[in-house]
Amino acid sequence: MKRMTAVMALAIIAVFAMSGAASAHFQLIYTPDAVYEKGQEIPLDLVFTHPFEAGHTMDMGKPQQFYVVHKGKKKDLMGTLKPIEWTSLTNKGKAYRSTGYKMRGMGDWVFVLVPEPYLEKEEGVYIQQITKMMVNVAGMPTDWDAELGLPAEIVALDKPYALWTGNVFRGIVKSNGKPVPFADVEVEYLNHPPVPGKDMFQKNALATAPQDSFVTGTIKTDANGMFTYAIPKAGWWGFCALGVGPDNKFKGKENSQDAVIWVKAVDMK
Amino acid sequence: MKKTMTIIGVLALCLGLALPALAHSPICTCYDNGDGTITCEGGFSDGSSASGVNMYVKQGGKVLIKGAMNADSEFTFKKPTGKYLVEFDAGEGHAVLIDGKDIVE
Repeated sequence: MKRMTAVMALAIIAVFAMSGAASAHFQLIYTPDAVYEKGQEIPLDLVFTHPFEAGHTMDMGKPQQFYVVHKGKKKDLMGTLKPIEWTSLTNKGKAYRSTGYKMRGMGDWVFVLVPEPYLEKEEGVYIQQITKMMVNVAGMPTDWDAELGLPAEIVALDKPYALWTGNVFRGIVKSNGKPVPFADVEVEYLNHPPVPGKDMFQKNALATAPQDSFVTGTIKTDANGMFTYAIPKAGWWGFCALGVGPDNKFKGKENSQDAVIWVKAVDMK
Repeated sequence: MKKTMTIIGVLALCLGLALPALAHSPICTCYDNGDGTITCEGGFSDGSSASGVNMYVKQGGKVLIKGAMNADSEFTFKKPTGKYLVEFDAGEGHAVLIDGKDIVE
């Protein structure tokens, strides 16, 4: 009987664990390519989702800030945003699209999103993922390694747009400019890239995870706040340092102020 | 003797300072401003500035306009009529040639 109860308890735990171990929330700033030969307008989609499974896409509020940094100069892009409805594999969620901003000349363009904190109702906590995504024109490096002074920020040590598949990507997790030792960093692959020209994820998965540990990878920063991850597959990879920002309260509730960065690897052919 | 060494040292330093760009590739892109002028931006793959690099706008083998990259590594010139070439001249083996027909808004 005792054994039976133990087995039942284990089974219940297993069920909960299965349902709880879904993929992680990731704020996406999506554009198809990270490198360009010439300056141009590129599509930019802001979607708050679970990228590995392209599952439940959360409703985004109007972002607090959306801007681009190029050659050290900041340009506000809030006026380029319009709300769209994004279709995931399981639902529809409110997202944003930026149109009309054209990159001129060459160098790095670092897009930064400070979203309105999202209330995760089941847990009664807010999540605010401050996100960086950058692209390069013509191969001239200008801003990729800059620290932008965000409350929660991942500072790149390798160019996020110039990675071969198999390269490592290293970053330093910072909270108000200070490295965060032993921070939890989630890693997730954009496994269902958006269908070009449509507000939806593609149905086909590019990779299959043998088990939940592979859906959302969890790594840690070292004593100096640095993490390293070897990229196993071409495409976009997101890194999210959890709860490292100082603004841990919002509207009287806990706020997890996270830092996200996106990097793109390409195959060597 | 000591003086000679110092001079050699200074020379080496000067060369060293002038050279780092050569270890990297030159980069130059141009775009049409849409107002009858063209702007070119230059630099090097390690991120260093192209300030002072000579710029030539050529037509039929002749130099139409000669100038240099400014402090922001930019060079703006009046768009010539007809075919033209832009040359970013960062020294031997480090020139970039851009055909005018590839320069668009």
